[in-house]
Parts: sequence; structure tokens; C-alpha cells
Amino acid sequence: MPRLLPLLLMLMAPVLPASAQPQESSRFFPYTLKTTKLPNGLTVVRVPFNSPGIVAYITSVRVGSRNEVEAGRTGFAHFFEHMMFKGTKSNPEGQRERILGGFGFDDNAFTTDDITVYQAYGPTAGLPQLIALEADRFQHLEYSEPSFQTEALAVLGEYHKSAAAPDLKMEESLAKTAFTRHTYQHTTLGFYDFDDAQVLEAVTKHYGSWKRELATVSIPAEPAQTKARSVHVDWAQPTQPRHVLAWHTPAARADTPDAAIQAMLAEYLVGDTSPAYKELVLEKQLVESLSVPTSPHRDPYLFPIDATLQDEKHRAAVDATLRRDVKALVDGKVDAARVKAIQDHLRYGLLMGMDTPRDVAIDLAFYAGVMGPPDALASYLKQLGTVTPQQLTAFAKKYLVETNLTVLTLTPKPAAGGTP
Amino acid sequence: MLKSNPSVSLVFAAALSLAGCASTPKPMPEAAPSATSPAATDTAKSDAPVTAVPLKQPKPMELVVQARQDTPLVSLRLVFHTGSIDDPKGKEGLTFLTAKLMAEGGTQKLTAAQLLEALYPMAAELTVTTDKEMTTLSGRVHQDFLPRFLELYTDTLLAPRFDPAEFERLRANALNSVRNGLRSEDDETLGKVGLDALLYAGHPYAHFTGGTVQGLQSLTLDDVKAHARRVFTQDRLVIGLAGPVDANLQQTVTSRLAGLPATGAPRVALPAVPSSAGRALILQKPTLSTAVSMGFVTPMRRGDPDFFPVAFALSNLGEHRQFVGVLFNELREQRGLNYGDYAYAEHFIEDRGNGTFNRTNLVRTQQDVSLWLRPVVPANGVFATRGAVYFLDRMSKEPLSQERFDLVRGFLQGYTRLWEQSDQRRQLQPEKLAFVFVTEDADGLAKTLKSGAPSPITYASPKSPELLKLDETLIQQKLPVRPDAVQVVPAAEFMER
Repeated sequence: MPRLLPLLLMLMAPVLPASAQPQESSRFFPYTLKTTKLPNGLTVVRVPFNSPGIVAYITSVRVGSRNEVEAGRTGFAHFFEHMMFKGTKSNPEGQRERILGGFGFDDNAFTTDDITVYQAYGPTAGLPQLIALEADRFQHLEYSEPSFQTEALAVLGEYHKSAAAPDLKMEESLAKTAFTRHTYQHTTLGFYDFDDAQVLEAVTKHYGSWKRELATVSIPAEPAQTKARSVHVDWAQPTQPRHVLAWHTPAARADTPDAAIQAMLAEYLVGDTSPAYKELVLEKQLVESLSVPTSPHRDPYLFPIDATLQDEKHRAAVDATLRRDVKALVDGKVDAARVKAIQDHLRYGLLMGMDTPRDVAIDLAFYAGVMGPPDALASYLKQLGTVTPQQLTAFAKKYLVETNLTVLTLTPKPAAGGTP
Repeated sequence: MLKSNPSVSLVFAAALSLAGCASTPKPMPEAAPSATSPAATDTAKSDAPVTAVPLKQPKPMELVVQARQDTPLVSLRLVFHTGSIDDPKGKEGLTFLTAKLMAEGGTQKLTAAQLLEALYPMAAELTVTTDKEMTTLSGRVHQDFLPRFLELYTDTLLAPRFDPAEFERLRANALNSVRNGLRSEDDETLGKVGLDALLYAGHPYAHFTGGTVQGLQSLTLDDVKAHARRVFTQDRLVIGLAGPVDANLQQTVTSRLAGLPATGAPRVALPAVPSSAGRALILQKPTLSTAVSMGFVTPMRRGDPDFFPVAFALSNLGEHRQFVGVLFNELREQRGLNYGDYAYAEHFIEDRGNGTFNRTNLVRTQQDVSLWLRPVVPANGVFATRGAVYFLDRMSKEPLSQERFDLVRGFLQGYTRLWEQSDQRRQLQPEKLAFVFVTEDADGLAKTLKSGAPSPITYASPKSPELLKLDETLIQQKLPVRPDAVQVVPAAEFMER
């Protein structure tokens, strides 16, 4: 069983916003974080949110497929996330469902390349029981061999449900080609009329005896790419051709603007108001959609532009247009008005996405989990507001270059006659 | 990393028609539904046709307000009582494409590109969803931008651009969604759309909300312009406003929308739905697994005295994407058959923006009860189906234990005491079920279904004697499938016309 490095336990506490007129700096995140670090290293964040009777309780653990360094053991982080629901000695399998189910909690979890996030969202009446259950399973997980084997089949089912669309295969192929050594090559928070001190006391009591044991996993560094790579996928079922340009880019960190720059670049190059979108999607209609399907990563990762083509014959023209726009950026031709609009779009967009305590908690847990500090989301929002056209050009010059590029092409090749 | 492409995900729909296999064609929209109360409908017979009472008509431009001053975000919903039931025969997809073109294709003042540019710095949401009987134009914006947004939002309805190039672009995307998205890339949605096609064969609900290939191909821009005037009318509109809403906003929205036509096309009268009990549809395509959906049509809607007891029972059987349900525990947790197994008391389309909840504004005259099994390995397809039928059957015959009752009551806090008030057996009869499978070896599956032969199961890990004992029953659980009503359709031909 891998050791876990706990980072964050966040409680969203509901109270009215402190001020009706937040300052400009907090305009896009009008919530107050109360952060406490327990002696054992666990960070507890509470966030007031006006959602009477409802609490979101999120635990973000800094472990994901990135940590899978042993050969033949890929998918383990995600599998382990499933096993975390299989019980302990004091709360055997089924007990958690009975207790949380009885309160009506929405209880779930997800795993990314870098983090695992456990989320429970439901009535504050169940918070004491929830805290006890969460602390117990993080310290005393215990399950049987058959239970392990049974769950493996459920995880296989999760894979199957996504296998009909080409995206999973594309992700696997791209990562395998772009990465040679790094593990990226395989693919607590609501409303509580609560007394903050009381919650903190319960958390301290239940998690206090949890010994800090830092696992040391050495993750291979990915050597710099020295020449362009490519990979092709033939897809045996009906789908549209895809064209992906992916460059290696630096990690998302709280103390650099790299995550903010990449979010802005995605919008600048292929967002709804970009020249490429207007030309390829709206005017010439060579492409159905354009996207940059990535999210901030803890280690250097990829910046992929993914074009869904209307027809295979448009591939060369689409490739040329995308490269043309990257080159313009490298050459320093940046539309400053669009940069300003993108900053507004991204910051208002994040704010609009934070509709419920769960939304806020997951955003906080995500950025904190990837970047480290509990207030990483605030740093990210601040960086978004200050990115300049010159920074975009400098970044493009350094990273969006030919030697650093992997091209993925996917072509539908359904069997003759359509249906075999 | 590469998440599913929004262009191919079938976010807009879950219902559709079965090309070329409507075995009970009826001259539908004209037949007047009987005025029988749903509660009084004879549900004791599993093969009786189902008739539902028409929906209550809204007052013209009926306004629903939920004001809240502690948020800067304004949410708007323009819900029109129109949907795919208003698609004329041979023009399946017309309502969907009309709504899409109005919302995305620009306004008389702004091209599609200019509209995107105007909305962009606001990060405003302006989207449209079409279902069988409801089409909802959703808007959401920070109050900083409210006046400008309101103009754009209402202009999409009042002064749509109807640009020929946008019409072609959106039609091409809609065709991609049927040919690639529906038929090929998402077996789970295909199974659910297949179930609608099977349950509602010959009925205006039967075809895919997003259109059929031939229906979409037959459309012209003139069709769209005429249709907009027929169905996006004041007498079909309900306006919803939430967030920092004041009298001025209410006044602005209602006075602008008074520019819509007062009335348009007459309402489509929905006919009774013949029973599909015992039918099975196998959609054949290359795939690693077997997706399974089953269900039956019911006149029971919210407001019916039976609705909440049945909702309680089906929450017990399988609340959507939760750990508490019987199906989830028995089929996934204990037997490891798949990723999840759920049950629904009314038509369910997951709202992808909101985790695990049902999409809102999904009102339907005609409802269905359904069970959904996420993909299983093909060898276990029939066993898993038998398991689901067994647990549904058991629940309809045996009372819930007090412990289960308390758990589910706690879960559904508001629904206390409902179970006791109705006899579940009147509503949840397994013999009413019809089945849809998406699988590769369709002929093999059809043969197994027709033969009724037991479906043995082997496990990779040891199981308890109690579970193995119960399995002896499950492997020969009678499936209510009629051997003469098992039909194989290649997915590549589904929703062709």
C-alpha cells in the first residue's frame, strides 16, 4: 500500500460573505480562507459559503499516476482511490455507505496525473460522523484480497465505458510518444452554522494521531526533446479525423506565471475569438472544434492543440493555419486587446464556475493539490491578471518550437461496409 | 488529458427513433389522448397502452422569479413548450437545429463571430438545449455586464441572423453527432437513445432529439425560419429569472420578449403509447463491452399519488451514481460486473455541469421508468440483465426491511412515509420491461435471449456462500423477453431516417 502525503483537508463553512464589495484583488475569488496547520503537517482550510445546511468536505492528496514509478504498475493511483471506499476495522465495508447514505451525502472521488481528490457533499448534520469516517480511512484502511479483485473488475468497467470514443487512445498515444522517461508517459469542504473552533477540534482529535510518513518516490526527469516527433492512430470505427500539436511546457507552480500563461495561450491561439477559430471553424468550416485539452500539471507537461477535422483532406491546411498563428506569436505580433479580453474571460469564467460550495472546494483543492500552497488558486488568479503580451511571446519562443513538438494524427478507418 | 470532445458528446439529448424498425407505426400526432387520470390508468395489465394527461399550459410569458441579492451572478431561462415532438415527419431535427441556429448563428446586428466576441470578455453563458417537449435558452452572466448581455440574449430570439453559412455549419455538426457521436463513440448514450426508440416506436418521442440523418439532410434554411415563427412564441414561453433580480430586470425582459409572435402552431397531441413489454433491441457495433438499458413507459408523473413512493423505491434500488443502491451494491460492489447500476422513476439525463443530478426543465407528458447498467464484459451481459430484473422483481414482491427503509428515508429526507402509502406492485412490474443492448456479437446475444438458457457466471475472486447461493437463482432468472420480439439493428443504420 503506498504511503500518502496528505496536503489538504478543507472544510467549507457557510456564513455570509464578509463584505458586499470585495477588493479588486479578491473580486474573482470573494471567499475567505481560514487555514490551520496541525502539528502532524495536515493543512486544514475552512471557507465560509452561504449554503444553509450543506457542507462540502474535500480531501486532496498529492498522489496520482505521476507517482507510478514501478514497471507494470500503472493505473494504481486510480485503483487505490477506489479501494479507499472498502472499509477499515472499525468501519467495515458497507458501513460508510450506511452512515453517509443515511444523511444523503454525495460521496465520490477522482484521480488525475498529479492528485487524488475525495469529495463528500451533503447535510452539515452529518459532519461529525463524516470527519470521523474520513480520519479513520486515511489512517486504518483495511480490505480483503477478494474485495481487491472484485474492485479491479469495476475499474475495468470504467475503462470500457470510455473506450468507444478515440480520446482515450489519443491520450495514451500522445503521452507515450512525447514522454520517454517521466511517468506522465502512462497515463474538505458547505454550510454549517458551525462553530469553527468545534470543527477544528474534531478534526484535530480524529486526525491528530496520524503520523506523518513521507514516502520518497523518485520520479524520473524527462530529458529535453531535441527533435520533432509524431505518432499516428488509425481508428477502426466512425469518427472524425483529429490533428494534435503538442509541445512540452513547464510545470504549474504558485511562484511562476507559467500556468496562467498557458491558460491564456490556449484562448489566444484557438479560443472562440481567435483568428484560427474564425477562419477554420466559422468561415472555411474545415474544422468542427478546436481545444487545448489539458490542465495544470505538477511537473512539466504538454500544451496540446486538438483540432477535430470535418474531413481528412483538410489536414494540411489546418496544420498550416495553426503553425502560422504560433509563428505570429513568436514573432511578437500580439493583439493586446485580445489579451485583455482573455484575462476578463478567464477570471469571470472561474468565478461563474464557483456556484456551489462543492465547486469552490474542488477548485481550491485542485490548484492546492497541483501547486502545493493552500492558497494556490489565489496566486493563479493574480497571475492571470498580470500576464503581458511580451510574456506570451517569450513563452512561445522558448517552448512552442519545432524541436519540442509532438504531432498526433488520427484517421478513421472503419471496416469496409460500415459495420463488420 | 484529452477529454471527450464537446462536439461529439451528446449533451443535448437522450431520446430517439429507431430507423426502419417501427413495428407499430401509428398515425400519431392527431390521435387525442384520453382524459383518464394517470392514477386511474389500468397499470395492472403489463401490455396495456399507456395514455398520459396533457401537460398544463403556461400562461403566455409566465414569469418565475427566485431573487437572491447575495450573488453577483444573474441566471436566466427562457423555457419554450416546444421540442422534437414538433418536428414534422421527414424533417426530424428541425426544432433542435432551429434553436441551435438562433442561439449560435448570430443576430441581425452581429455575425456569429461578432456575437462570440461580444460575449467573450463577460465569460457569459448562452446555450440552448432541446428535449422532446421543452427547449430552453439558458443565460448566465455577472451583473457587471447585465444590460449588454440582455440585449444579445433576447436578440438571438427576436432578431436571429439565420445566416446560410452558419446553418450549414451547424447542420454538419448535427450530422456528425448522429453518425459518429451517437452511433460510434458513446455506447451508453446509444443504449439510452435506443431505449427511447424502442419504447416509443411510432410515437413523436421516437426519433433522436438531435435529428435523423435523412431528416437533417432534408432541412432548408426556409424550413428553419418558418419553424421559428411557429414554435418560439409567447404562448409557449415560461421565463425564469434568478439571482440579483429586481423589478426593472423583470420589466425589461418581459417587454423585450413581447416582440415574439403571440401564437404559432397548434400543439401536437400525443397519442397513447402501445406496450413494448418483452421487446428487445440489439444495436450491433464493434465494441469491447455490452451496454444495457431497460424500461417501460408509465403515465405516472410528479403530482401522481404514486410518484413519490415509486421514486423512493427506485432510489433504494439504484440512485444515480450513488453508493447506496441495491443494484450498485449487488452487481458492482459484490460481483464486480461493471462500473455502476442505477434505476430511475422518471426520464433522466445527467446534467453534466452539475455532477450527478438530473437536468432541469425536462418536463415530459409521457414518462418512463428505467434501469441502466454501465457496460459489462459481453460474456456477462445476460447475467447482469437477469440480476437487475431479479432485484427489481424482489423489490416489487417483498417489503423493504426496516433498516433499508430507514437508510433510504434518511437519504431522501423529504420523502418520509411515502412507501407505506402505496402498493409498489401496481407500478413496478418487471414484465413490462423492454430491453436495449449495445454489443458486438449481436447474433450470439439474440440467441441466448431467445433460448432462455441459464447464464453461468465465473468470478476472479472467491465469493461468499450466500452470494453463490443467490447466483443460482440469478443465472436462471426469467427475463421477460419475447423470443419473437428480439431485433438486431446495426448501429451504423440507427437514426438514419
